[in-house]
Amino acid sequence: MFNQGGLSLEQAPPISVVLRFFITGGIFGVILSLFMLFNIDNSLIIVHLLGLGVMASFMLGAMFQMLPVIAGVVIKTPTKKALVVHILLSLGILLQISAFSTSSNPYLYLSSSIILGGGLLYASILMFKRLIEIKDHSSSSKGMLFAISSFIITIILGVVMLLTIGGYLDMPYLLLKLRDIHYSFAIFGWVTLLIIAISFQVIEMFFVTPKYPTIMTKYLILSLFSLLVIKSILIFSSIDTILIDITLSSLLIIYAGVTLHRLYRRRRPTADGSVWFWRFGMILLIISLSTFFIDNLRDITYISFIGFALSIIFAMVYKIVPFLVWFHLSNQGYMEAPMMHDIIHPKRVKIHFFIHLTLFIILIINSFLNFTTLNIVSNIFLTISFSWILYHIVIATRKYYYIQRSFTPIKW
Amino acid sequence: MIITNYMRSEHRACDELFADAEKSVIDGDFTKAEEQFLKFSNETLRHFKKEEDELFVVFESITGNSEGPTRVMRFEHEQVRGVIGKMAEAIESRDKDAYLSLAESMMILLQQHNMKEEQMLYAMCDRVIPQDKKEETLKNMDKIEL
Repeated sequence: MFNQGGLSLEQAPPISVVLRFFITGGIFGVILSLFMLFNIDNSLIIVHLLGLGVMASFMLGAMFQMLPVIAGVVIKTPTKKALVVHILLSLGILLQISAFSTSSNPYLYLSSSIILGGGLLYASILMFKRLIEIKDHSSSSKGMLFAISSFIITIILGVVMLLTIGGYLDMPYLLLKLRDIHYSFAIFGWVTLLIIAISFQVIEMFFVTPKYPTIMTKYLILSLFSLLVIKSILIFSSIDTILIDITLSSLLIIYAGVTLHRLYRRRRPTADGSVWFWRFGMILLIISLSTFFIDNLRDITYISFIGFALSIIFAMVYKIVPFLVWFHLSNQGYMEAPMMHDIIHPKRVKIHFFIHLTLFIILIINSFLNFTTLNIVSNIFLTISFSWILYHIVIATRKYYYIQRSFTPIKW
Repeated sequence: MIITNYMRSEHRACDELFADAEKSVIDGDFTKAEEQFLKFSNETLRHFKKEEDELFVVFESITGNSEGPTRVMRFEHEQVRGVIGKMAEAIESRDKDAYLSLAESMMILLQQHNMKEEQMLYAMCDRVIPQDKKEETLKNMDKIEL
């Protein structure tokens, strides 16, 4: 008569499903910072290490965890599926980096398009199919559907470009247009829409804030996605996209402003690292989009957007990891399950926030000054930042397995 | 959507009581916190009772399924009751850090639970329970005391 599939006792996926992606995201973050530290100046490698190695790893891990809760979507046999995606993603990124660094070997382009593209399409189509089956959509589940759709478009365009550069497809004349559409859907579609979709649930419910305006929860994501589609058509037809860009940026600046206002009016008094990461992320989003149209400030646009996305990812990870360790151990009947603060203490999160804040202030200042010393300092901060989060995820994971190994659960 | 609206507003009311108690703990005013926490726990437990004794029973009788979503929700209520007990101990022993740590777990646990109810279970209730039965259920829930 109706779908009850969304609610089952086993709906929370095993903790390994999420942690494997988070640890991988942290490792790729450290690799990325080492690339920067040793001045390997290949923007394609840097962008893809960041976008796929770091962001997609964290975001896919979070999606596996949040789909059952936010959208009532259960992915069956999550452990196996996550393992397949994880292996293909990690291997695919390494192949892609090798392809970008040698640039002459067509087999590397072919293999990375098959392995990386295959892994990402497998994960995203899996999630898309479950999301589209939902009967009672909330603004968040609908937003996730649009974010995943954008991800699928991004991946397909990425695969086409890899095959074109590798010489397997003959359309080099389209490469620049495809690249612009690929980045638009990756940045404004996949990353931004997913963050907005999650924020519609998380901000209001976890921080006890006033509701987002209905007009925003109902139409913002749909409007942004439609603008991206129109923008792609214009790019393809070689028509200027400035009007679309202005509308897109204005909508996102309004969203960031409303989110900051919601956080300001939150009823929960805690001002932990997570709240600060959200606030700083929204400020960076505003900076990024306000500088979008000024050519001289293009570096600030990119830097602040990256800062925005990483801020929200860190805010989420520092809540999800300790909660999952506590939740799974408690559910399994371990009386010794540590409390969230004993897994990752809020002070540690605050320290990371200050590292992150300092990093992005230096990056923004140095985009004007261009001092070599400041460049080295910012790369050191970047390395510390990713090492910090990786260390805390690993410690949390070790605590989890230590409790499982060392104590006997109570059966109930 | 009268079931969803009624139950959702109860969730939000409980959230506000929870936030008030948390604020008092942060301020170090445990006497006030104790009073506010009691209000939060009473309202939450009353809300659970309304669901378990009325809404879920009606839903189960109409759908003929007591092993589906309502079973999961009852199970999660037990989890929340367990954490309420631990938070009460922390507040009694004036242990600020333990309270705030438990509050963090409680908030995520409770909100995950609320999301599932608001987006799935209540929507199902609004869909399958006839209008007059819904109105009767709401009236009966109003009468429920702890």
